Amino acid sequence: MSAATTPASEQADGRMREADDTADGTDSAAPLDLLLGDAARSPLRRFVPGMSGVRFTTHLARRPGKVAGRTKDLAVELARVGAGRSELAPHEKDRRFSDEGWAKNPMLRRTLQTYLAVGETARGLVQDAELDWGDDQRIGFIVDNLVEASAPSNNPFLNPKVLKRIVDTGGGNLVEGGRRFVRDFASAPRVPSMVEPDAFEVGTDIAVTPGAVVLRTDMFELIQYTPQTPKVRTVPLLIVPPTINKYYVIDLAAERSLVEHLVANGQQVYCISWRNPDARHADWGVDSYGQAILEAMTAAQKIARADQVALFGICSGGMLSSMVMGHLAATGELDRVAAFSLAVTVLDQEQAGLPSALLSRKAAAASVKASQEKGYLDGRSLAEVFAWLRPNDLIWNYWVNNYLLGHAPKAFDILYWNADPVRMTAAMHRDFMELAISNGLTRPDGARMLGSDVDLGKVDTDSYVVAGIADHLCKWESCYRTTQLLGGRSKFVLSTSGHIASMVNPPGNPKASFQTADRNPADSQAWLAAASKVKGSWWDDYVGWLAERTGPERNKPRRLGSAAYEPVCDAPGTYVLDR
Amino acid sequence: MSRDRLRTIAVRGIQVRVSLRPGRGRLADAPPLLLCNGIGASLEALQPLVDALDPDRGVIRFDVPGVGGSPAPPFPYSMAALSSWVTALVARLGHREFDVLGLSWGGALAQQLALQSRRRVRRVVLVATGTGSLMVPAHPQVLAKMLTPRRHRDPAYARSIAAEIYGGTMRDDPEAGARLLHATTRSGPKRGYYYQLAATTGWSSLPFLPLLAQPTLVLGGDDDPIVPLVNARMIARLVPRARLHVYRGGHLGILTEARDLAPVIERFLTDVPDQTE
Repeated sequence: MSAATTPASEQADGRMREADDTADGTDSAAPLDLLLGDAARSPLRRFVPGMSGVRFTTHLARRPGKVAGRTKDLAVELARVGAGRSELAPHEKDRRFSDEGWAKNPMLRRTLQTYLAVGETARGLVQDAELDWGDDQRIGFIVDNLVEASAPSNNPFLNPKVLKRIVDTGGGNLVEGGRRFVRDFASAPRVPSMVEPDAFEVGTDIAVTPGAVVLRTDMFELIQYTPQTPKVRTVPLLIVPPTINKYYVIDLAAERSLVEHLVANGQQVYCISWRNPDARHADWGVDSYGQAILEAMTAAQKIARADQVALFGICSGGMLSSMVMGHLAATGELDRVAAFSLAVTVLDQEQAGLPSALLSRKAAAASVKASQEKGYLDGRSLAEVFAWLRPNDLIWNYWVNNYLLGHAPKAFDILYWNADPVRMTAAMHRDFMELAISNGLTRPDGARMLGSDVDLGKVDTDSYVVAGIADHLCKWESCYRTTQLLGGRSKFVLSTSGHIASMVNPPGNPKASFQTADRNPADSQAWLAAASKVKGSWWDDYVGWLAERTGPERNKPRRLGSAAYEPVCDAPGTYVLDR
Repeated sequence: MSRDRLRTIAVRGIQVRVSLRPGRGRLADAPPLLLCNGIGASLEALQPLVDALDPDRGVIRFDVPGVGGSPAPPFPYSMAALSSWVTALVARLGHREFDVLGLSWGGALAQQLALQSRRRVRRVVLVATGTGSLMVPAHPQVLAKMLTPRRHRDPAYARSIAAEIYGGTMRDDPEAGARLLHATTRSGPKRGYYYQLAATTGWSSLPFLPLLAQPTLVLGGDDDPIVPLVNARMIARLVPRARLHVYRGGHLGILTEARDLAPVIERFLTDVPDQTE
């Protein structure tokens, strides 16, 4: 950073860097099949090894040599630890053990080294078993979780930071921590809270890009953002956000808002804000949501007096948009869409990552049944499942900070957004689950939307596909396969960071970069080899790509809405406030 | 565009969805009117009343934690705790003093507020409400239907029982009841409803009504199956500075007949204090 930076941009940059640091920790929008998994039931089910456990044991039993080798190595290492001659040390980036007490105090150092040695052996045994992909992911998940849970840093009597704080505060930290623990665990999600409930206020310090709700239906509010340039592009852009979190991930704090960036660059931006459905809306399925997207498209077209819209889907909103595109292709209306964009969206569920390995057909059926009884799938139980997928970042980190040290978690906009989930209707849950299990979007007649077979090969609109290289929920390789499914010309862009941080990628971050290539070979690794690195944020690249496809410039509209679409209230609207 | 502004704020770590209509004109500096809603209903249900009040009057509405668009709090709460929290909520919105109007369950909260925050609550309007567990109860069949939030979640069910439990004009037009509870309202988790029920269990205002110092307007309908009219008469007799207004209609008369009843409330709120007996 240059010395000339203003305090404001410095602050934004600080937040950005924080975003980079915590990128992995904040990745928790939903991959489709995870929703499907056991979110409607207890996340603890994940920890029951079941048949995978049986196969793990039998595979190991067939390789006694390897097991003996591991055991011997462990014994040797432990002897070294005892004698104080072990070289084992935590990864230098491992913040759990950053306190110097871990290295200086002989007792603590031995405890830590024992933990590292045992953990390494346990993980090694999973490798040795050479399980097939699904079992390997499943057992690996359980072992990782157990290893991470048993870290000495989680123990108040071993963690030097905690011990010091007990002395400093006379034990006040444990009282405060206990209070937080009781509050967090009294209601779902039963995981440590990552942000204080009053850290932000929607409409005051996040979701603040000016605009108005120009259409309110039972299902969504359509926000039209106020143009900020004298000239705007003719074709409006409609953003379809995920259905499982609030839309404002694309409109976080000032200077971190994708919407703000697009508006400032002359786009006419419209965004759907989904209603947080309750038991009364149990039968809203994929078709209802598809119909809603069409309705929003029509409204945007009419208000902007344009023949076309550009469509931009994110995560589950991207799946729905893709299916709407399939429907438009089938009915011969594909020319309504000038450009199609997808971010962190997986259309091909084959080996889409850890979540899909954990999903079995039986678990899926039980989960659908559970949500049907309730009418919806609670976003807070999803939050629990997500947290246990990345326990080090999402559980133990806050366990130490909130309960052992008694600190309030830091105010961070992405985490506030993350703690503000949306329910999923029972019908949508069922439809999504079917889609994941059948992997129907990969075949011409595998899925239906509003009565049409969805054949993505017939969607020949130009597309812009974004993924994050460290995305644990929607693996970039899976996102990449979208380029092979869609029939038109695709530009694939691989951003840094994970699921959410790859989305929230404002220009100006000196570390920002992305990769892209001219061709899209079938194999994602071949693409990666051919790709070149571009400095800067993909936001700027996207603005350029979009500008080429959203028509000539014209004068900005004098007011929001139209006679037929009178503004109902100011952005961010009312649906976004329903918890 | 409407003047109401919806926000979600956190008060003492508990999140709440509030709607604010700032006062203007000659009422710009008057204390705002805080509306306390009936059990299980979200703030949208009060729209007919808000529309009928003086457009200059500042109005605060909120979803009780666990109802409508407010998330459920971690623990059940008592009326006293809720009342103290609501006072903090109004203070957080920047008002030292306020008037309160409580409908049905919200009437219990309003009475508690009047007792607990006597310096902040200026005037009290109690509509279709009783004195808690020590009151003349509704018919058991009506009470049974109040024990679950089903009427807020299932429009067909609401239509089928509206006449019986709400009385008044709903007897001729049960559709209106379903509309009132469903057209625009939000529905919270069941837990929120049970918390509300639990808060009134064992609670009664009977012992403290004679202590209330504020001018109080008591409104009761002559065909209210949930809170029989005799309760309104009882409150009016016990509160020292109370006046009673009996209207023709049912439990939700303040919403279905808002045009007729809002002026009564307006007159009471704008009266100079000395004239109240």
